[in-house]
Amino acid sequence: MSARYGMVIDLDRCTGCGACMIACAAENNVPPLPAKATARTGITPMMVRKLSNGKDGAERREAFIPIACMHCERETPCVAVCPQQAVELDKETGIVMQMPQRCLGCRYCMTACPYHARYFNWWDPQWPAGMEKSLNPGVSVRMRGVVEKCNLCHARLHSSMEKAAAAGKKEIDPADYVPACVEACPTGAILFGNLADERDPVSVAARGRDTFRLLERIETEPKIHYKTTRSWIRAAADRQGHGPTEAQNG
Amino acid sequence: MKVSRRDLLLGTAGVTVGMVFTPVPWKLLGDVSVWTQNWPWVPQPQRGPVTVKQGLCTLCASGCPMRLCMAGGWPVGISGVKSNPLTKGALCSLGFAAHQLNWHPARLREVRHRGRVANWQEAQAALEKACSEGPVVVVDGRPGRAVSTVLQEFAEKHDVAYRVALSPGEKAFAPYADWTGIPSSSFGYDLENARTIVSFGTPLLEDWGIPGRFARVWSEKAAGKDDPELRLIQIDAKLSHTAACAWRWVAIREGSDAALAGAVARILVEDNLVPARVAIPVTMLEDAAAQTGLAVEAIRQLAHVLLEKKPTLVIARDGNPEIAALNVLLGRVGEPGGVVQRGGAGRAEVPLEENPSKYRAIVLDASVPWEFMPRTNAEVFRFAAWDGGGNTADWLLPSPGFLEEFTDVPTAPTAARENYGIAINLVPQPEGTRTSGQLLATIDSSLPTVEKTITLRCEQIFHSKHGAVYGDTVQAVAQMESAKKLEEQLRSGAIWVGDVPRTTSLHCRLKEWPAPTRIEPASDWAVEWPAPVLPPLAGKLYQESNLREAPERSRA
Repeated sequence: MSARYGMVIDLDRCTGCGACMIACAAENNVPPLPAKATARTGITPMMVRKLSNGKDGAERREAFIPIACMHCERETPCVAVCPQQAVELDKETGIVMQMPQRCLGCRYCMTACPYHARYFNWWDPQWPAGMEKSLNPGVSVRMRGVVEKCNLCHARLHSSMEKAAAAGKKEIDPADYVPACVEACPTGAILFGNLADERDPVSVAARGRDTFRLLERIETEPKIHYKTTRSWIRAAADRQGHGPTEAQNG
Repeated sequence: MKVSRRDLLLGTAGVTVGMVFTPVPWKLLGDVSVWTQNWPWVPQPQRGPVTVKQGLCTLCASGCPMRLCMAGGWPVGISGVKSNPLTKGALCSLGFAAHQLNWHPARLREVRHRGRVANWQEAQAALEKACSEGPVVVVDGRPGRAVSTVLQEFAEKHDVAYRVALSPGEKAFAPYADWTGIPSSSFGYDLENARTIVSFGTPLLEDWGIPGRFARVWSEKAAGKDDPELRLIQIDAKLSHTAACAWRWVAIREGSDAALAGAVARILVEDNLVPARVAIPVTMLEDAAAQTGLAVEAIRQLAHVLLEKKPTLVIARDGNPEIAALNVLLGRVGEPGGVVQRGGAGRAEVPLEENPSKYRAIVLDASVPWEFMPRTNAEVFRFAAWDGGGNTADWLLPSPGFLEEFTDVPTAPTAARENYGIAINLVPQPEGTRTSGQLLATIDSSLPTVEKTITLRCEQIFHSKHGAVYGDTVQAVAQMESAKKLEEQLRSGAIWVGDVPRTTSLHCRLKEWPAPTRIEPASDWAVEWPAPVLPPLAGKLYQESNLREAPERSRA
């Protein structure tokens, strides 16, 4: 049976520490960028953004929302516009795959993505001398001029599939496939699993009362769900969560 | 058949149009794009056998256990260790990129003397000369380690002073040490049993203390609940990340924390909410209201809220005695859910004098925070793995970096239980680097080695028969075969955690309310990060996302 991998992110538990962003960048060999890089020109496949209730002074409240590729299931906008078939919805996993080798860098997908979850490599990938020894051997380095995004740590899925195959199993052990951001979250705010399995904790949580998805009205069926008990966070997430704020644009 | 020029042009146009309907141009386009992904200057990840090892982070005093993915002998990925009872798998956000630090452009690779390249022989000769000429002081930033024992023994044998430079979190226990006579290194916070935590500007959810410990407690007991099991009240001038996540954020003016603490104490006593264990502070409520920007009624309400869910623990960002005195007033010193005394003897630590001009030379260990630079004319020997910039030390002495030093990790500050671990050097120590202990051992070869001191510490733990070792499995020390076995386990990344100490109410000799003390605002969010530089990927936090304020220091 094919899986539908997805997440439920509990916004009430997110402290905005940014561990998910750093762990994601380290896992996926994202290079450190020049000082002029901003929210728009940088590469943050997992980006934590601030939300506020819009008030000032002591009445102000803030919360944090981690935003990555939503892995839209239906009429995936980036898949529809790519002229190079560099983006593909994997029917077996539900993961929207980005293949940088095929990417021409036209950035149609970035324009089409309603969540602004795609990033363009504006600079050559460079690390200080010797630091390339710290790169993850499971993930290749992307070249300047291509688009990239979250692929739910696909390299980890591959190694779990190899492990299962070596053990003569057809299905992977769910404990073997955990994306870096999920593993890094110190408060356990990110649940990850198979949404197609009704008994999976992530599937149960996704059907919960307090969960929602960003821009549900455009009916792209994103596989990243959010959870909060506070109504202002839900409203602010829908208002601001699908694009960089002015401050983040730099 | 005669081929005209027109036929030729038509044929060429036909071939051109027809080509579009064949795979050739698209394959060519695809191949070109693949080819351009593989320029020779695009870095290739390290190849080699992939192994997983466990180690301890030594970048701060917390010593968080880490699971390290190694390729070709180098760490290429870091994650937390879920079986660890203190961190429960959490690391600080910067820790996930710490393996990049050893190649940071600011890495110190040679001895420097006032800006010029020097060598270890010159540095050693200068230190020996200083020792023979006048008083010298050795400053340790993380006392209690094996190398601290080496420094202390050197100090005793050579008539050299031994002092400590503590972090703000460790300084917070100094008032309790003054009032109880128990060394400040014996205290910790019982966060797990508190039901109300009042934080005076302490970045509890921003890598404070043992990263992950409070985050887990907060996540399980407080997050997203209107009436949580644990109430976190953050008193802060700015809407910090901790304030944003708190049950209640009390916004006050910068530097008015102590005045608010005094006013709250006064209300607690005057309204008969607590017994008058100490003299009432002289703070007038109206004065406190003017200083903090809060209404008198709001302060009164805050004082009453403190006692709605007991036990209530007050946590100060540094050693401000007025805030610490609130815990005495609330009867939370030595009680569950309060400031508790850990097991063990503790250490009596003497901080470096405010004006250390009497010394001929000052030796700063690599554990001393980079910004710590005494104002003195003495000759300063500064050990460090990275040059954070702006340091005026006479000698910059390159030290081992991340995972390059064989050392140990004693009990983390703020921990409620004793713990101990051994951090082996998972990558080789680079040539040209030395620890302070290694340099002093070249001056005096009779000093104990770090290895021997660690073995002795393991024997002490083994003979104490208390606590358990947390590795792949949990094993009680009482059931272990030998001290050697215990040391082997600790060397493989396990940590020893002592038993839960029996809490005993401590008698605080606090006759009068402490005098007002100025509170310095925190410099930036990475204040608990003691390495002089941040990993390059930290830019994701303050540059590409604006999630954090950009560090003002030049070190980033």
